[in-house]
Amino acid sequence: MTPVTLWELNNIIKDVIENNLDDTYWVMGELAEARQASNGHFYGELIQKDESGRNVIARARVNCWAQQYNLIRLRFLHETGQEIRAGLKVLLEVQVTFHEQYGYALKITDVDSSYTMGDLARRRKEILAKLEEEGILHDNQTLPMHRLTWRIAIVSAETAAGYGDFCDQLLHNEYDLRFRIQLFPATMQGQHVEESVSTALCQIANEEEKWDAVVIIRGGGAVADMSDFDSYQLASIVAQFPLPVIVGIGHERDETVLDYVAHQRVKTPTAAAAFLIDHQLEELSLLNHLQQRVSQSASNLLKNEQNRLEMLKEQIPLLFRTVSQRIGYRLDLLQQRLRQNVERRIQNESHRLNLITSQMESLNPDRLLKLGYSITTHEGKLVRNPNQLHPGDHITTRTEHGEIKSIVEA
Amino acid sequence: MKYEEAMAELEKISIQMENNELGIDQLAEKLNQAKELIKFCRAQLVNIEQEIQKILSDEEK
Repeated sequence: MTPVTLWELNNIIKDVIENNLDDTYWVMGELAEARQASNGHFYGELIQKDESGRNVIARARVNCWAQQYNLIRLRFLHETGQEIRAGLKVLLEVQVTFHEQYGYALKITDVDSSYTMGDLARRRKEILAKLEEEGILHDNQTLPMHRLTWRIAIVSAETAAGYGDFCDQLLHNEYDLRFRIQLFPATMQGQHVEESVSTALCQIANEEEKWDAVVIIRGGGAVADMSDFDSYQLASIVAQFPLPVIVGIGHERDETVLDYVAHQRVKTPTAAAAFLIDHQLEELSLLNHLQQRVSQSASNLLKNEQNRLEMLKEQIPLLFRTVSQRIGYRLDLLQQRLRQNVERRIQNESHRLNLITSQMESLNPDRLLKLGYSITTHEGKLVRNPNQLHPGDHITTRTEHGEIKSIVEA
Repeated sequence: MKYEEAMAELEKISIQMENNELGIDQLAEKLNQAKELIKFCRAQLVNIEQEIQKILSDEEK
């Protein structure tokens, strides 16, 4: 057999592959490597693991040219909220290629994002199920928020636009609500998210008494990769965190496990600020309401007292009049009775007087003299019996019209 | 004193007042107490300094 050159052999293989295989295949696998080169081309490695998930049983290089890759990447990002990256399970439409120089490779022509979505959802579900089993899934959600929540620890990237928005909105709120904030910087994108955010959270937990709540925020803007936050470790820390955790990691469509365990989930950093402001505003309006109630009831109380005084003031003359009327009435009555008494007494007396007068009248000697009787006296004494007298006594006899002087003979 | 305690005390006073549980002679004292509590709570919620500065800058305009 005549030896062939390597180039000839590779060309034979290339011919076999190109002539005997279908144009494209849909192949399932996990991306073990994925990177976009500076020229925009995509290079990666697709693997399949055995059931234990530990051993790789198949491996193939994958690639995609810049123009095609940009289309695929944007659609995948839009549909899944994910970058095409290592660790993802993917369903790829590929063309099997063989290059004389670079060998066997799969050229990506399309991606089915629903497969990846399904896998991510399953992973999220597994994490949540585990947390549920451990009984900590709702721990942070049921943690009460302090009525006064103003000391806010922030986990974010220092340079993130979302962080700036958050601070601006929170610190320059129109109600002048007081907040104190401190940034605990963390990487919010890429493979270090889990470790970096965990570290920041642990720092905050160490000085728990200095804070009222924790906010985990990340800049919005471009659709970003969420799955870095789908971490069991992170979710477990957040679930068991001693302070309420508010998560606003800037996504519209997809949710991460953090959203399920956090005390409050919001879509954007700005919304996180609004949530905190609302919470304090509620307290402020409660305080205003209480103030109003107190001053209202105080003025009511005063008004009532004043009314009472006013009423008493009005009642006093009235009462006085009633009393004086009653006294006057009694006086009148007394007077009347007094008068009646006096009149009766006077009548009685005059009656008696009349009687006495008429009695006296009947005894008047003049009256008897007029009737023809006469009265004889001896030395000023009435002569009632002739025995009183002796012969020779001088006696005086009084008649109606004069006296007669006589001398007793016998 | 903690904010939550102050708010609870304030609530108590307002209820006492509304239920007419306070005599007129206690009113002044309780009213003063309420005023202090409100001042305290407000200072916890609102940035008094900023507010004052805002008022001052409003006056300058």
